[in-house]
Amino acid sequence: MVVTAATLILVLVIVTALAFDFTNGFHDTANAMATSIATGALRPKVAVLLSAVLNLVGAFLSVEVALTVTNAVIKVQGDDGAPRPDLVADQGYALLLIILAGLVGGIVWNLTTWLLGLPSSSSHALFGGLIGSTIAALGFSGVNWNGDGSELDGVVGKVILPAVASPVIAGVVAGVGTWLVYRVTTGVARRFTETGFRWGQVGSASLVSLAHGTNDAQKTMGVITLALIASGHWSDTGAVPFWVKISCALAISLGTYLGGWRIIRTLGKGLVEIRSPQGMAAESASAAVILASSHLGFALSTTQVTTGSVVGTGVAKPGAQVRWGVAGRMVVAWLLTLPAAGLVGAAMWWVGDLLGGYAGPIVVVAVLVGLSGLIYLRSRRQPISADNVNDDWDGTPSARGTRTGAPA
Amino acid sequence: MIDNLQYAFDGAWRVLVASLVFGAGLPLVYALGIRSLAWGAGGDAEVSHARPNPVGTVLAAVCLAIVLAGVALGITIIAAAGFGKVVSFEHGYPTIVAKED
Repeated sequence: MVVTAATLILVLVIVTALAFDFTNGFHDTANAMATSIATGALRPKVAVLLSAVLNLVGAFLSVEVALTVTNAVIKVQGDDGAPRPDLVADQGYALLLIILAGLVGGIVWNLTTWLLGLPSSSSHALFGGLIGSTIAALGFSGVNWNGDGSELDGVVGKVILPAVASPVIAGVVAGVGTWLVYRVTTGVARRFTETGFRWGQVGSASLVSLAHGTNDAQKTMGVITLALIASGHWSDTGAVPFWVKISCALAISLGTYLGGWRIIRTLGKGLVEIRSPQGMAAESASAAVILASSHLGFALSTTQVTTGSVVGTGVAKPGAQVRWGVAGRMVVAWLLTLPAAGLVGAAMWWVGDLLGGYAGPIVVVAVLVGLSGLIYLRSRRQPISADNVNDDWDGTPSARGTRTGAPA
Repeated sequence: MIDNLQYAFDGAWRVLVASLVFGAGLPLVYALGIRSLAWGAGGDAEVSHARPNPVGTVLAAVCLAIVLAGVALGITIIAAAGFGKVVSFEHGYPTIVAKED
């Protein structure tokens, strides 16, 4: 059997997309579970298991998957989800190379921010990678910067404006919730509030996990299906092949189960010292903002919402303090997400296009594997796991102390 | 760009209002529930060590029921979206309807 270059790149795109989905999972475990782990409402291993199961359920709930996921930022598909005709010659090789390079950009940025323990948006990383590879391949006109003005759309409408608005909204809601909760429960014994709010915390965190599964697994399903359509292996723009659904659901929940402990630690311990009433207020705010946004068609990043909530709950609790240095580093990471993932995406496209044929995609994937290996090795120098995720932020990390001068 | 700003502003304040009602309102009700539960239990449950009052337990149950209804609504919104439906509030109470694009 002869494997053509087109088949090879299709297989690589699918594998890379699943790898992205996996990083998406462990990068975002923190969003739902960091606060419950930090307050001891759930033991770390139990928390990631619960979150993984709910992500799996959420991913399967997405019966109707948006195949037009890339339309928000780039122009490689029509409104019905079918790929642009001029990109599908040669079994979609041109389109597949753009997607492959974009996915690599997203994964590299996800791994880098994980290494630094910074929560940043996985969707923005994916979009950034795709924007970069599209600019490299099709020029600036290939990017959907502003939409057509009929709705909130494009890089500005679907990424930048929500990125500014959603953490602020979440912060305000969490702040108001925290303030009210503390007002109402003054005079109640602490053992009563701690147990009571732990239950509330677990419930609200579970909602966030479920919503995450429905939102994020869909994106990878859409990307893989686009690749299958472009290469002529699938033609229905109204549905996703069942095996794609299963493998994406499994990839994201396995990633979630692995647990991005470095990020969980930052969000649960680094930003604010959280108590269970705050945890419940923060997760309720996150769940409400996520659900209200998807209900009202307002695109947003789960990560930024959760971070906003945690900061809000820190600001509003009497006597609590927010480590603004940590928050500042996160904001820097958010600002860098699109350009950094985009640069990697663009570079990968150039490499892939220069070599072409079989060699192009193979080298691109080889670079990804090499970089991932390096990042993993670097992370082993100061491992963070379920065992030390809750250690004191200030005392422990001698290695962390050296980070003062490190880039965020 | 200007269009997008307007849409974003329009979307943002509606998200803010809805989120305040559910995201801060439900925790408030939950907190009231815990407060009532402590009132019902009396003694060690409160800093004041007041006597137990059964009205508190009843109130706590009501609060918990409201919160559970809110959570059920949240799950319905998530599940409905997965099946291409939306939860509509046009009649004042939530109903599941087909999504219109």
